[in-house]
Amino acid sequence: MRELVEVLITGFTIGIVYFLVAVGFTLCYGVGRVLNYSYGSFFTWGAYLAWVLAVGYAELNYFLVFLIVLPITFLMGVAVDRVIIRPLRSRPEFDFSVLLATLGLAVFLDNLVLVIFGARTKSLPEFLEGSVTLAGFTISWQLLAMFIFAAVVAVILFVFMAKTRTGMSMRAVAQDPIGARIVGIPLFRVFAITFGISTMLSGAGGILLAPRFFMTPLGGWTFLVKALIIVIAGGLGSIKGTLYAGFLLGILEALVGWQLGLLWVMPVWFLVLFLVLLIRPAGLFGAVARKG
Amino acid sequence: MLRLEHVTKHFGELAAVNDLSFELEEGEVFGIAGPNGAGKTTVFNLISGFLHGSGRIYFDGRRIDGLQPHQITHLGVARTFQIPQPFNSMTVVQNLRIGEYYGVAGRSGPKKDAPWNDLAELISFVGLEGKEARPVSTLKLYDKKLTVLASALATKPRLIMLDEALGGLSAVEAEQSLELLQRLNREWGLTIIMIEHLMSALTRSCDRLLILNNGEALRIGEPRTVVEDPVVIECLVGVKHA
Repeated sequence: MRELVEVLITGFTIGIVYFLVAVGFTLCYGVGRVLNYSYGSFFTWGAYLAWVLAVGYAELNYFLVFLIVLPITFLMGVAVDRVIIRPLRSRPEFDFSVLLATLGLAVFLDNLVLVIFGARTKSLPEFLEGSVTLAGFTISWQLLAMFIFAAVVAVILFVFMAKTRTGMSMRAVAQDPIGARIVGIPLFRVFAITFGISTMLSGAGGILLAPRFFMTPLGGWTFLVKALIIVIAGGLGSIKGTLYAGFLLGILEALVGWQLGLLWVMPVWFLVLFLVLLIRPAGLFGAVARKG
Repeated sequence: MLRLEHVTKHFGELAAVNDLSFELEEGEVFGIAGPNGAGKTTVFNLISGFLHGSGRIYFDGRRIDGLQPHQITHLGVARTFQIPQPFNSMTVVQNLRIGEYYGVAGRSGPKKDAPWNDLAELISFVGLEGKEARPVSTLKLYDKKLTVLASALATKPRLIMLDEALGGLSAVEAEQSLELLQRLNREWGLTIIMIEHLMSALTRSCDRLLILNNGEALRIGEPRTVVEDPVVIECLVGVKHA
């Protein structure tokens, strides 16, 4: 029983991190109509940049690491949107060309990691050592710190989307890009900001999860696939759906890893995705028919 | 205030708008009519920056062809679409707030004057009071059209372009809309361009009327004179006037 509860707590914490990673992916599609295949590479870059600052070339405190790495991954996203995505937008076959372009970018970014850092796996130390016992259950400080950080970011994101003007303009663009332009919303700036927020969330996920998983130059792909499964299960473009699916699959991952071994995590995830789509073809909270 | 000079737009071989020139005075109500496919909406798309063609378009003496739609909105040109495009999951007042905030260029940009003091006044002017907090998706078509119009007004325009504002409305609603447009013009001094199929509405409310046919200006002038022109009647009704 005690073990089950501890596994559930772990799953819940991973779930909220998965939510952050997946929501960045879904925002990018919902607002900018970009299915970003290079999303996992920003996850990798977030983790490696953190390694540079915390282990490789300096021994900065994690708080500072976040403070430095998140703006970098944000700016990387803005630059990618400006240089690669935006010129494609005027093309009639945008959906397809952006897919190929981001795929190419992923290959480039991953190989850049390979060239700079080499192929050997790296790891980040835990943010905090030791553990705390609460009501008889042992929780590592690391897990608690992860949970608190991810929860704070999630709350900021929700408030940002609901209350701030930039958040409102992002929702407006997601609903109707033409209507948004007509009330004076600078469409391309909103696309760039969205892309930056999205890659920043991917980078944040990379830093948060790097102490749990080893880092490799191609490690981001696993999380791209995971983000894809979460957003499809939750309903593409739906933030609420992503939240539920992130928790569901995070808890499932912890349970499956505990009982069957980590090798079974992805097969079970795909099985769950299959079942969800069987019952709700547009995902848990997806709109039934989206206009193209 | 607005001037089009030899504006042309081709879609492949087809000239949707062909060598169109006209000029609008401040405070004018200007109607555009013509058969389906005459290029009416294309003219709106060219002025508002959704399409780019050849020729020159000036607003207040400043060239605006080649600008992005939001930049043109910032200069004080608003528009609505045939099919209303409100942000459905948001409330009426949220829709307006977006227009109010994004209608002006940047926070440091020049502030535009508006004839209303706050959004509440704007909401009551268009007749949406009591529905401020309703999500737009729950409104009927007429109120959706009013929301879109009010969002456009919230951007503080001096010129507003209305694409079939009366389309799909009941006779009573169309009458109310028309009255509202006339008040916008008379009380707020707004310059209006309206595309409309209802000829009676156009002759009643417009100072001048442009008849478009195959992308070209067939006639332009005082509405009653224009609609009685045999060439116009033939174009719109499709039969030779006896």
